[in-house]
Amino acid sequence: MKKWLAVLISVFMLVTLFSGCSSTGSKDGGGKGGEKVLTIWSFTNEAKVFATAFQEKYPDVKVEYTMIPMTEGEYQVKLRSALQSNEGPDVVALEADFVREYVESDYLIDISDLRKYADEVKTFEFTIDVGTDFDGKIKAFSYQATPGLMYYRRSLAKEYFGTDDPDKIQELMSDLEKFEQAAEVVKQKSNGNTYMILSLSDIGRVIIENRSQPWIVDNKLVIDPIVEDLFDLAKRFRQNGYEAQGDQWSESWFAGMNDSLKDAAGNPKKIFAYFLPTWGLSYVLQPNSTTSDGQSTFGDWAAIPGPLPYRWGGTWFGITKDSKNIELAKEFIKFVTLTEETLKNWALGVYTNEYLKKIDPTVGDDLQQPAGDFVSSAKVVEEITSQFGNTQAAEFLGGQNPYEVFMKAAERLDISGRMKNIQATDFDVQDALWDPLAEYASGNIDKEEALRRFKEGVKNAIPNIQVD
Amino acid sequence: MRGISSKKAHSKISKNYYGYIFTAPFIIIYVAFSLYPLLYTFYLSMTNMIVMSGSNYDFVGFANFRQLFEDDFFVTSVANTWKIWLMNFIPQLGIAMLLSVWFMNQRLKIRFIGLWRTVYYLPNLLMPVAVAALYFNLFHMYGPVNQVLYRLGIIDAPIDFFRSSWWTQSIVAYIQWWMWFGVTILYIMAGMSSISPTYYEAALVDGASSWKMFTNITLPLLKPVLTYILVTSLAGGMQMFDIPYLLTDGRGSPNRSIMTMGILMYMRFSSGKGFIGAGASVAVMIFIITAISSFIIMRLLKEKD
Repeated sequence: MKKWLAVLISVFMLVTLFSGCSSTGSKDGGGKGGEKVLTIWSFTNEAKVFATAFQEKYPDVKVEYTMIPMTEGEYQVKLRSALQSNEGPDVVALEADFVREYVESDYLIDISDLRKYADEVKTFEFTIDVGTDFDGKIKAFSYQATPGLMYYRRSLAKEYFGTDDPDKIQELMSDLEKFEQAAEVVKQKSNGNTYMILSLSDIGRVIIENRSQPWIVDNKLVIDPIVEDLFDLAKRFRQNGYEAQGDQWSESWFAGMNDSLKDAAGNPKKIFAYFLPTWGLSYVLQPNSTTSDGQSTFGDWAAIPGPLPYRWGGTWFGITKDSKNIELAKEFIKFVTLTEETLKNWALGVYTNEYLKKIDPTVGDDLQQPAGDFVSSAKVVEEITSQFGNTQAAEFLGGQNPYEVFMKAAERLDISGRMKNIQATDFDVQDALWDPLAEYASGNIDKEEALRRFKEGVKNAIPNIQVD
Repeated sequence: MRGISSKKAHSKISKNYYGYIFTAPFIIIYVAFSLYPLLYTFYLSMTNMIVMSGSNYDFVGFANFRQLFEDDFFVTSVANTWKIWLMNFIPQLGIAMLLSVWFMNQRLKIRFIGLWRTVYYLPNLLMPVAVAALYFNLFHMYGPVNQVLYRLGIIDAPIDFFRSSWWTQSIVAYIQWWMWFGVTILYIMAGMSSISPTYYEAALVDGASSWKMFTNITLPLLKPVLTYILVTSLAGGMQMFDIPYLLTDGRGSPNRSIMTMGILMYMRFSSGKGFIGAGASVAVMIFIITAISSFIIMRLLKEKD
């Protein structure tokens, strides 16, 4: 009897041990009753809004949506291993930081045939450039455009420059030289109590995106002249006290947004400008503009394209090589990124919680898309810009219509063609730059040593390229 | 007679058989999840495998290892790892030992020992992410540490802790110490309570001082526990990753001062293309360094018969 029991228990244990292995393979072909299944992986719930809206248009399609967070890189790890074992989903959402890795690999399929729809809605070229591989094949499209801007404080501008008018301030800061002169004015007129920017990385990432050539050409690291300019400028900014020696995403960075920044002696310090993209307005600047005790800079901001065009962030969608429903997946990407109606609904906040619940009652109480995201279609942007004149975001910008200035920044970035230089390895190269740059700016090492360390850092993060 | 003995033999054999069955789960899991990955890592370290290039890769022999010594990056990471580990381990063992001796001392009669032990152990339960964020904001240029030091008149200007190699290394070593000395106390106290009190009674009768008792009774009898602490801490220290990774830019900034071997390995693996082969070579070096040092430590601390 006991023996039988033992055998039985062992069998149970073995079965439960291996039961995890078998269940994954079976769901690909198509769900119950012949309905089509589309699997989508993403790292935020934004894609779920789209997936739900998609089901409204295609009720016979069953969307299997999986959200995997990417706070510590879980999403990328999971996606990579799924693709390596040929178990990728149909559609993947790809963030700006890693979209290029996939675009340049064979894991995504060519969807250049959707290009004609992009032309119809006048998709910003730079968002397409990001999704285009070196052979000119388009592998990913985005619903967003995320050009970068310079946000500055109106009250401080009036004090130091006599005007807070965005056009006039833009003229005063239209290139790096003028920007630096303005930084000196800010320092002089505030007696050193206002810094132009909080950290060197604020301006650093703007400058670095304006290289005239890619980082790596023929498997060799190329140091564009603007990188050397960046070194010089960083040193002058640090030594002259134009930047507050803070760090992006640290408490000091946020404190500067609501005037609660204090130095070690307790003296209040102010920050004149922040370099943030379109989404930075509603996700970073506005939520941090008010302190817990009510001190606020709401309405005291304005946005301008700033000294140089740049881009920051964004989400793209592509189809993996493992997709068994390529046509359906293309429909989805077209629906999300290249359809006028969807993009309008997205930007204008049509996808409210009630709206989505009507389509699928199981979406939960939090899923919704508020108005204000800047979409990738110039056509849609032109049509809806006037509707953003009276929003809360416009109030935050002292009456300035955010969509108007976003459009200016997007057009300038489009003309610059800088996104054609983008490569999967950019972040690895640039990550190796910041530390030597900071050391050089602080005067701890000379430029030659800084460049040597930079090259060594690149070589160690990307072992298969030449650095000299 | 015969029947009985054969029956006995039979039951003996089947019992031996049971032994294999009972150990099988461990062996299977060990082979599948420990031994195979280990051997596979060795294999990977000799290839130029890149995640984003799929299955196109070549066997390159020792090229990855040769490259590790082409510049001082890897050597710096080894030096950093050892330096930070020593900066944390020496005080960790010293203070844990001191506190354990005090807690165990009958004459001091310290109360609420259980409570103290728990309090010292608590930091170990915190998530590294939370700990790193906490310390980054404490020691930041605009953080409370600078504010307090300045207002107390201890410093004339705020210290930029995270742009100074020495400070950053010290902060990492301190965090490691703070997170782990509670665990070491637990081990040492467990080891001490297994020492028979009769030795101390005999020593007391002979009029030995506390110091004499510590060096001649406690230390020698604690040796197995100390060896265990040393070897596990070394293995953990050589793999040090989470705190230095999360504290600054994830690449050992400033000035590569907290770039440990673990960070270098992760940097290669997690870089855009995912250099698995080159990353695995660092992992193999960590393994070799840890194995050799543990072996030396065990030899040095071995009981001399």
